[in-house]
Amino acid sequence: MIEIDEDKLIRCPVCDAVNIDKGKKNACRRCGSAIYHHRSFSTEKSWAYLITAMIAYIPANLYPMLVTSAFGTKDESTIIGGVVMLWEHGSYPVAAIIFFASIVIPVLKFLILIYLLISVKYPLGKDKKVNKHKLYYMTEVIGPWSMIDVFVVAILAALIHLSSVEILAGTAATAFAISVFFTLLAAHAFDETLIKENR
Amino acid sequence: MKIENEDALDNFVICHKCFTLNEEIAIKDGSKACCSECGGVLYRYDSKLIDHGLALSLTGFIFFVLANLFPLMQIDILGSEQFITLPKTIFSLFDNGFYIVGFICAFLIFIFPLMIFVINMLLFLLLKMKRGEKLTKELLVLLSHITPWSMADIFFISILVALVKLVAFGQIHIGVAFWALMIFVLIDIYITKSIHLSEIWMLRKRILLDKDNK
Repeated sequence: MIEIDEDKLIRCPVCDAVNIDKGKKNACRRCGSAIYHHRSFSTEKSWAYLITAMIAYIPANLYPMLVTSAFGTKDESTIIGGVVMLWEHGSYPVAAIIFFASIVIPVLKFLILIYLLISVKYPLGKDKKVNKHKLYYMTEVIGPWSMIDVFVVAILAALIHLSSVEILAGTAATAFAISVFFTLLAAHAFDETLIKENR
Repeated sequence: MKIENEDALDNFVICHKCFTLNEEIAIKDGSKACCSECGGVLYRYDSKLIDHGLALSLTGFIFFVLANLFPLMQIDILGSEQFITLPKTIFSLFDNGFYIVGFICAFLIFIFPLMIFVINMLLFLLLKMKRGEKLTKELLVLLSHITPWSMADIFFISILVALVKLVAFGQIHIGVAFWALMIFVLIDIYITKSIHLSEIWMLRKRILLDKDNK
């Protein structure tokens, strides 16, 4: 018989097996993967990815996402410009989808991750532990959906390339793809076991 | 809390959504167990999990191949016909010099979805034959690493958005691959929603125990 504290039980992020938290050298008893090995720099890894993502998000909004050249005239549109154009043309649902996927979700994800990362170190939010776990779960679920805009640009660019009418992806596509990629990494690197009651 | 040994921890589950510790109980065939705190699904019990998994992943694989072979959509623009296929979308990014985006897209919408279905097929086949103890473990670990990066469903929604944007340019025809991709995405969503990795781990454990007892 061994006596353990319930708070000492953690879930393996790879195979979901329940494990006893043994500190720095945690290896899952079922799948053998390391469980949050980077304990000594608990939140820094996630911070690093998150800051990279936020830096990449700036050019993603400033540079054109889509370059349409029709009969010699070039028309460049940024992410917000594209949303506004769609809204003016009357395709409200699509404008809303792009707005949510490219603006609301990334910004929301940055804010939630910043909040979580700060709140596990300093007693900032008095939110319940369960709510924080739910918040984290939500960022993981909605995160990938911000890729929509990149895929749309890829499809448009692949489909329309005539000599007279041509659609090209802009610099922002690269920046945005990198930004999403790093936010996903940041969310994965976040150590869920750091979330404690009343902190 | 007192337990016999570390292996007894298999009788507990921690909820995905809210991290609450729950005790695992035996449930009826075809039903699911929910978290006591938030009501999220913890695990399901399906006595024919191997057959269901094998059938679904095989079907999904066939539709994925179809979705790659045929054109997704075609557009009549200024008298000329242009069409795209799924691989062509990725290659055209490389052609235009967008190597990073092309690389990311290639992994997210082609390599990872394909890998998931191939791994699932292999996994269920091995479990059915009750072989490859080590290999199934490796495959399960690999599967859990790539699952969050597979974005076939998001790509499908992107196609719908692109369709609306394209209406201004010309007549659009939807290709065979569009429907194949739709079925693939539905199967993909169904598999990720109904077959949790932890259920396959539990199944693997039961099979290994059976083997040891014989």
